[in-house]
Parts: sequence; C-alpha cells; structure tokens
Amino acid sequence: MTTMTQAPPQTVQDLPQVRGVKQIPVFEGFTSGHRTCQGCESALVMRLMIKAAGPRTIVVGSTGCMYVANTTYYSTPWVVPWMHTQLGSSGSAATGTAAGLASLMRKGKMQEEPINVIAFCGDGGGVDMGLSAISAALQHDEYNLLILCYDNESYANTDIQVSGSSPWGANSTFSPPGKVHRIMNHRWKKNTAPMLAAGHPDVRYIATACGSYGPDFTNKIRRALTIGGPTFIHSIDPCPKGWDYDPKYSHELGMLAVETGIWVQYEIVDGELILNGPSRAIARGIRPRKPVTEYLQRQGRFAHLTEEDLKFFQEKIDESWEKWWIPGIVPFGPQEEG
Amino acid sequence: MSTVAVEVVYRGIFQKTLARNIVRTIVFAARKEGKIGTAFGRYGDSPERNGIPAKQFAIVSDSPEELEENLAVYEAREVDVTINVDDTMCKGIESWAWYGLQPINALTKPGGTLIVTSRQTADALIEDIHQKDSAYNLAIVPASTSFSGLWVYKDDHTDVRILGALARVCPELVRLDSMLAALEDQGWGGLKLTSARNTHDRLATRPVEPGEGSEDEPFSFDLPGWKSMEEGLVIKGVEGGTGFRGGSLGEGYDPIKSNASGDTSYEPTRNAVFKKFSTRSMRPVINFDTCIKCTLCWLQCPDTCFDVTPDGLYDANMEACCGCAVCEAVCPVADCITMVNESEFNDNNSQWEHWTKDKDSYHKWMSELIQVQKEKDATRSHGYHSPGTYEAESEAEVALTGDDD
Amino acid sequence: MATQTLYETEREELISGSEAIAIACAMADVDVITAYPIRPYDTVMQYVSKLKADGAFDCDFIVAESEHSQFEIVKHASAVGARTFCGSSGVGWFYAFEAITVTAGLRLPVVAMVGNRALDDPGAFGVEHNDAMAVRDLGWMLYWVGTAQEALDTALLAWRVAEDPRVFLPAAISCDGSFLTHSQAIVNVPTQEQVDRFLPQYDRGRLLLHPDNPITVAPQVNEDWLMEIRRQTDDAMRRTSDVIREAYEEFKQVFGRGDDSPFIEEYMTDDADIVLVGMGTLAMPVRVAVRRMREQGKKVGFLRVKFFRPFATEEIQEALSHCKAVGVIDRDYSYGSPSYGGVLFNEVRSALYDLDDRPLVQSFVAGLGGREVLVRDVEEMTQMVQDSIDSGKVKQVNTWIGVRE
Repeated sequence: MTTMTQAPPQTVQDLPQVRGVKQIPVFEGFTSGHRTCQGCESALVMRLMIKAAGPRTIVVGSTGCMYVANTTYYSTPWVVPWMHTQLGSSGSAATGTAAGLASLMRKGKMQEEPINVIAFCGDGGGVDMGLSAISAALQHDEYNLLILCYDNESYANTDIQVSGSSPWGANSTFSPPGKVHRIMNHRWKKNTAPMLAAGHPDVRYIATACGSYGPDFTNKIRRALTIGGPTFIHSIDPCPKGWDYDPKYSHELGMLAVETGIWVQYEIVDGELILNGPSRAIARGIRPRKPVTEYLQRQGRFAHLTEEDLKFFQEKIDESWEKWWIPGIVPFGPQEEG
Repeated sequence: MSTVAVEVVYRGIFQKTLARNIVRTIVFAARKEGKIGTAFGRYGDSPERNGIPAKQFAIVSDSPEELEENLAVYEAREVDVTINVDDTMCKGIESWAWYGLQPINALTKPGGTLIVTSRQTADALIEDIHQKDSAYNLAIVPASTSFSGLWVYKDDHTDVRILGALARVCPELVRLDSMLAALEDQGWGGLKLTSARNTHDRLATRPVEPGEGSEDEPFSFDLPGWKSMEEGLVIKGVEGGTGFRGGSLGEGYDPIKSNASGDTSYEPTRNAVFKKFSTRSMRPVINFDTCIKCTLCWLQCPDTCFDVTPDGLYDANMEACCGCAVCEAVCPVADCITMVNESEFNDNNSQWEHWTKDKDSYHKWMSELIQVQKEKDATRSHGYHSPGTYEAESEAEVALTGDDD
Repeated sequence: MATQTLYETEREELISGSEAIAIACAMADVDVITAYPIRPYDTVMQYVSKLKADGAFDCDFIVAESEHSQFEIVKHASAVGARTFCGSSGVGWFYAFEAITVTAGLRLPVVAMVGNRALDDPGAFGVEHNDAMAVRDLGWMLYWVGTAQEALDTALLAWRVAEDPRVFLPAAISCDGSFLTHSQAIVNVPTQEQVDRFLPQYDRGRLLLHPDNPITVAPQVNEDWLMEIRRQTDDAMRRTSDVIREAYEEFKQVFGRGDDSPFIEEYMTDDADIVLVGMGTLAMPVRVAVRRMREQGKKVGFLRVKFFRPFATEEIQEALSHCKAVGVIDRDYSYGSPSYGGVLFNEVRSALYDLDDRPLVQSFVAGLGGREVLVRDVEEMTQMVQDSIDSGKVKQVNTWIGVRE
C-alpha cells in the first residue's frame, strides 16, 4: 500500500521585494470605476495589494465596502479574477480556492502553475464574524493563501456600526454619544494579529500594515505570497466616511495612527518579530510617540470626547507601550521572579 | 386635489443631514396646512459614499389616498422642484453603475423649478446644465456649498435658506408662514428664521427656455434581458492595461517588475460603464514643471486615476478622478498640485497633453485657475476639520450671505 | 492507481447508504471534500477519510471548523473547477444555510448528502425531513433516496446532472438517518470503467474562475437586475427535468438497472382506488402494507417521490389522476401550514388542483424524530382514506399517526 500524503507545498511565484516607491510596478489589477468614497484608503489597499501580487492571482472578497461599493453589477473594477464570498467566509473562501487549485493541478486536471490566492475581509468579516474560519485556514499549511483584513474600524458599509475592531469611545450608528451615555462603545480594539500569531505558531507570516506606507505594504503582500503556507495581514485603513475627516487626509491619518503608537507596524516571520518603520523607531526610543490627540482630534468620530476621555485614551496607549511584555503587541508576560 | 414632489440632490454623507433636514421640514410644514406627506432617501444610494451623488425626496398630497399613489417607490417619477445643494452637480450626476451621467434636471417637471446653492451666475450654471425639451425655472440661493462630515453638522443655515426659497418658488407646496412655523417647532428660532425669510424675499428666479443649456447627450442605456445576461452572476473583468493612450507595453514589459522609474508608460484600462467623475467637486491641477516624479500622487490615489506618461510624469485622468485631493495632500512640492473648484472646467481633457503641446498656454491657464481658486472659493473643502471649526465657518458664511439684517 | 484495483470488477458489498456514497465519491474522483461532525450524515465522511487514508482515492479532504465553512470551502473549490462533495444533518445543515443559499445563487454544482435528522431543540438523532426540505425554494435539486443502492446510483447521477452546463445547480441527496446512514445492505458496486463512461469531467467553461479567464463573479445588484437573475436560475431548474431524464436513460444503459422514471416510483398504482404517497425509507413498511392489503382485496398502491426538486408535477398528476383518494405521509411538519398538513402533502395537493377530476387528498404526519412507521400504521391511514371515500369527503384533513394522546 502506497502512502499518499497531501500535496507538498506548491511552488510560488517570483515576486521580488521592492526598494522604494519607484520599484512598485505600474501594473493595475484593480482599476478605476468603483463606487467607494472619496479618499477611500481601503480602495487604495485593494489596489496596492494586486499591484504587488500581479495578474496570476485569484481574489475572493467577503461582504463589506470592498464588495458592495467596488463591484456594482454589470460592471467591475477588477482586472484579475474576482469572486464574492460571504461576510464570515474569507478563511473558507481562501481555503476552498486554494484546495480546488491544488487538487486539480495535482491530478493533472489543470495546468500546473503557482497562482496567488488572496481572500480579503473587513474588520466585521475578519475580526468579528470570520475569525473562526480564518483560524481554521491558518492551520492548513498545505495551501498557499493570504488573508488580508482591511480594518476601517467599523461596519462602514452597512452605515458605520461599531465592530470588535472599533476604538474605545468612537461614535458610530450603534454607539452614538447621547444625553445620558457619552461613551457607548466601551470595548477596546481587539488585538487580532498577535492573537492569530500566538494561536497558530506554524504560520510563517503574519503582519500588520498600512496603505500609507506603499513600499512596505507591497513588500508585505509579496512576502506573504511567497513564503509558503497560509498567511495573514491586518491593515489599518483610515475611513473618511466613518471616521469623519476630509478625504484628503486619509494618507496622513494612516501615518498618525502609527506615529501615535495606536497602531503598531510589524511582521512575524517564522516566529521572529520585526517592527517596521516608525514603530521600530518608537520601540527603540529613537522617536517619541506623538500624543494621541493629534490623531483623535482630527476625526469627527471622536469629537464628543472630553479632556478626561482623551487622557484615558492616552493612558491606555502608554500602558500598552510601557507595561506590556512586548510593547504594543503582547499584553501578558511571565510571572515575575521572587 | 394635488400632489407636489420635491427632490434634494446632494453629495453622499457630506450633505446627508442637510438633505434630511430639508425633506423632513417640508413634510412638517405641509402638515401645518392640513396636508400629508412622506420623506425618504433613494434606497439605492444607501449605503451612501462620501461625495457620490444621492437623492432624498419629499412628497406632499392633499389626502392620504392621493399620497398612496406615490408610495412604495424608489423615487418620484417627476418633481415640481429639484434642489441641488452643490452646484458642481449641475454637470450631471452618476449614482449607480450602468446608468451613466444623468442630467441634474432629469426629473424636473415642465414649468418646475431647479434651486441651486451657488456663487455662480445663472448663465454660468445653465452652461453646465443639460438642456430640456420644456421650459423650467432656475433659482439660485447665493451660498458656498455646505459640506460637513457625518457626525458633526455644519449649521450654516443652508437648510433653512433652501426652505425659504422653496416656499417662494412653490407656494402650492407650502406657504412661508407654515414653513417658518415648522422651523420653530424643530427648535430653530432667531437667526435661522431670519435667514429663511430673507432668502424667500430676495430670491431671484430666471426662466430657462426649451433647448437652453448644455447640448451634451446624457448617457443612455438598455437593460439587457435575462437571456442575454451571462449565467452564474458572471461578468467579464476589465482588460489589462496598455501603454500610454492605448500604446503597446513593449516587449520587455513584466507586470511584476516593470515600474514607473524606468521608461514604462502605462494607462490602466478603466471601467467602461461607471466613471465616478460626477463625484468630483474639485479637481487637481498639476504643474508638470515643478513635478519631481516622486510617484506619490500616482501611488496613493485610491481611484487609479493617474496615467503614467512616456516622460515619467503622472497625468490625472479626469474620467476617473473623483476629487478626493489625496494627491494634493501627499505631494511634497509646494503648489505642484492644486485642487480647483470643478465649476471652473468645461471638459475632461488631459492636462499633460495640453502642457506637452503648448507649455506657455498651459501655464497661463493653470495660473489663472489657481488664482481664481485662491480668491473665489478659498474656503471650499470637504467634510470634517476639527471640533469647533464649523461654528467659526458658519458664522462667516451667514455674515457673507447678508442674511443677518 | 489504487482506485482501479478497488473497482476493476463489478461486485457486491454489504454497506450502508453512507458508505455507498463514499464509494461513489471515490469512483467519481471528487477533488475536494469537506467534513464536519454531526450525526448521522458524518458516517459518509468517516468512510471517505478511510478511503483516502488507504489510498483508494486522491482528494483534498478538509475537516472544516463549522458547517458554514464546510459549505463555503466546496463552493469556492467548485468555482475554480473542482468536483466537490460535502454534507450535513439537522441543525448542522441550518448552520451552513447562508453558504447553502449562495451556492445555488452562484450556480455552482456542489453535491451534498443530507443525513436527515430532527431539528433541535431538543437534541434528537432520528430522521425527519425538515432539514433538507428547507432548501426547497433556493435552487437546489433535492432527492430522497430509498435504499443504499439508490444512494450510490443517485450520487453518480447528481454530479452528472449538476455539472451539466445546461444546469449548473447544486444537488442534495437526502438519506434517512439510521435507516440508510447506519444500516447496511447488499449493494452492487459498478466498475470504474462504467462510472467513467457515464460521468464526464466537470468543465466550468466560460464561468471558470482562473487567471486565464478573468471574470468577476457576483457583483452587488439592485432592483434593476435581480429579477432577471432569479429568472435565469428558474429557467435552469426548469431545464433539469430533461437533463435528468436524459442522464437516467444513459445510466440505465451503462449500469443495467433503474426504474421507469427517475422522478417517481410507482408501486401497484395501476388500478388503485387509494394511493399512498411518501418519500425515503417510509417506502419499506408502506410497500409491505400495500401487499398485505392487496391480498385482502383492497385496491391500494404507493407512489414514492424521489425528486422533490424538481417536483415532477406532470408525472405525479398522471399517476394520481385515476384513483379516488390520495393519502400523503409526511415525515415532516409545517406548523400553521394550509390545513396543518405536511410539506409534501401541500405540494401534492397543489399539483392535483388542475386535474379535471381531482381525487380526495388527505394528510398524515408520521415517524417524526425517527419513530418507526409500522405496517399497522399504514393500514390505519389507508382505512381513514377509505372512510373519506365512503363519506365522499375528507372530514379531517390532517392526522398525526402514532402519537400518544
């Protein structure tokens, strides 16, 4: 009796790292003609994602702005093959697509070649509803796939309702400040990428990202697609609609999220944590964190916060950098000796 | 027995509360005269997107039975008054894919009125507005466009001024005294009532003759039947990009490696059906001579609107640009990219082609536009600034329009 | 290949319905199979995993973390051209319901086994048909199997019909919990050569999601499109009847077995005054009872509905047009339905409405929660139908059989 195992990890495409903005490819796989908001950072994330991945890619997108606003029937902005999947299904959609391709190629029913499989989800689909399927997908080291969570910190597509990834205190249509309760969202943003990294130690690549840093974003997508096995990227996407700011500042707000230490940029590659860009400088003490007010007071969703609220927010961020075992990333640590 | 319908055409999210204030007050005011009405947003616009044109309606009838004839619909079949709260939409609006650019006055009845908030003259506006077969009236409420974010409303009296104007152009809908009473019911007293009354009294209306206006053909379309639609919810993807203006990508082109630092010109193929440019209320004007080719405008554009020219510059394609101004924000060179009010333009022509053809002419054109922008409409912006700024802005706006007598 | 050594010659095996379907999976060379544990359907996945472990066939066998993911995974594998199989039971089927719904909307030919089971609460393992029936309006083909042999045969038929480009709809094979999933019978297993002759490879054609065929699948629609899309699926379901008939004729030629009709089984209905109607393993006690009553001179027959979707309206009308009365036995319930009848009852009664000379139709709910339906129960039902004939009308439309008062 022969022993048949699952297919060996498939080959991957040659997607070289870029050094600087000028090496980002001209290729566009997600073109204009989508119905997103002016200044939509998530649309930019879609565009940068597919520029990095190239045309031999299948993208599956779960319900959210990047579905409803992007693809309006009988037209599409997608150059690469794209398919809708359900809100909580980015993990299973990636798994199914990769498994179908792997099986067909192994059996000789389809021309063998490395095809990138990317499934994306918003924070509602990734951080809330789809977490269990993403976790399951990350256990399948026989499939090459990338799950990209574009996090604009609310269910922005359905009218901006609070999600498990919304920041404390943020105004939303499910957490409006009222006459009696000023703060309706008492939850602190879920620490998603470290949770997935800790829970899936065999996953070779998990990263956070931000579209404001183009080359860094490109390289992260490319590392995720070429390292082998399932990978996850969590991207912070400023949302001019839900966060309420002039759309021209999308890029700047992404940088401010990082520079205030509210969002931390890093990669976990084969078990090693690498901080990127401003986050690395902050962690090394080379660069001070900007006060959170520089970020919060630029956004209408925090317009109702009092001085005391802003102080509380700052203290929570300070705590994550000063008290956590791995600053900004891992909140728990070993029991102190003695 | 009569039914009167009003639509408010507005920029999604930025003017959502403004539009809602207008249509709801119409129904409250009509109630004062014993009429009955309904207010609703066009369902297909929801969820709204920043800047994408949307509509809300108020329909008022003498009796519930009459009103019922206008219920359970997505939009009124025709309206007595169209209210346009951003004059750049006079060029037409594109709300959903496949329907293309449609005239701002498409639903306005023969003899009806189009109210526009604008600082332009009637003639300048009519130049932009698609012509109609029948006569209608154009009324201008002199004001800068009122934009705000979703959570913080910019109370610059645009809502009450529009309502005052409405009572003037369509007294059969609701009289001024009823309108003012409805405003008071909502807790808007003092200065807001004055603003409404003044706009009512001072409103200028200009008749627009059949055939007067832009001769551009509105987009027309046929909806295919089920037998000619592909099965499995499948539509063809957009074709891959080409070299600049449809040219070849060259033999050495590699989608993974070819980048803008070399000599690869590139033009993405675009969605042929949905253009999105009617979302734009400002457009970037680019000084190609000071451009340092840093790529940031091109790279950070969420709408893939920049074409990479053969000389390594970035030409904002006006069919695709929705006017978000991210390019202006990320450009490291002072005054290389300037956002200019959309009403200053009459076409979507390529700036790079103009510049290449005649640099002197381009500079003259560009400098004039930037100057106009600085003088005429310096305050124009989208959405939220920071807490407290709307109050200051609103006071300035109210004072500027002379409502405070 | 190990597959060939296993299925080189036709042979008999003592296997359950679940095992029969697992063998069909191997012979059909299914590419992607997803499992999640729930009784009683999961016996099929236990056999599939063992076949794979033993090298009897090569597939990507994925144990999902929920039924929802189970059905989503095969849906997406099917979109890239893979032949797929999965299944569930009871509330597990309901947990997957979102994925099940969209699979039909996307026109993906996923084949699923439903091990019929009562819905919680309370937890119960026995057979009821409500789980599978929930998809009756969604575009799934829905088949109720009577024997383990039929389970194997139907699985092969299901891929053949579902993957026919004229159809591209998913198919569910319903097997009564315990009586089919956990009971073994002698089954004739065909050769691989026969299966290969009957079942071509799945070719997604123009609808294949692949970089060589860059399509966009399932963009958001509005009210201007959905009705046409629904009509396409409706037409695909209408086309299934001919495709099923055609495939079934070929099945009979290749495998040398099969009934007259793929849709229904008629048992002693020719001269019957009373025809009982039911689905699944109910057929076993009913046929016994019919034989006994025939021996007593009662003109009773039985009609087993095999395809619940598409519902074979004309064949059922024809089969029931000559009798005086029909008794429909439902292993399901539909609280508050017309006449409080079962689901099958109301479908059959509706199909008979157009007949010029309609038989009386009576409803029985029996065997819920897996309770055995006994020959004496069938005799009791038949007597009640006879009473209706004698009195010329159905006095009590619905009766629950074998329930303690």
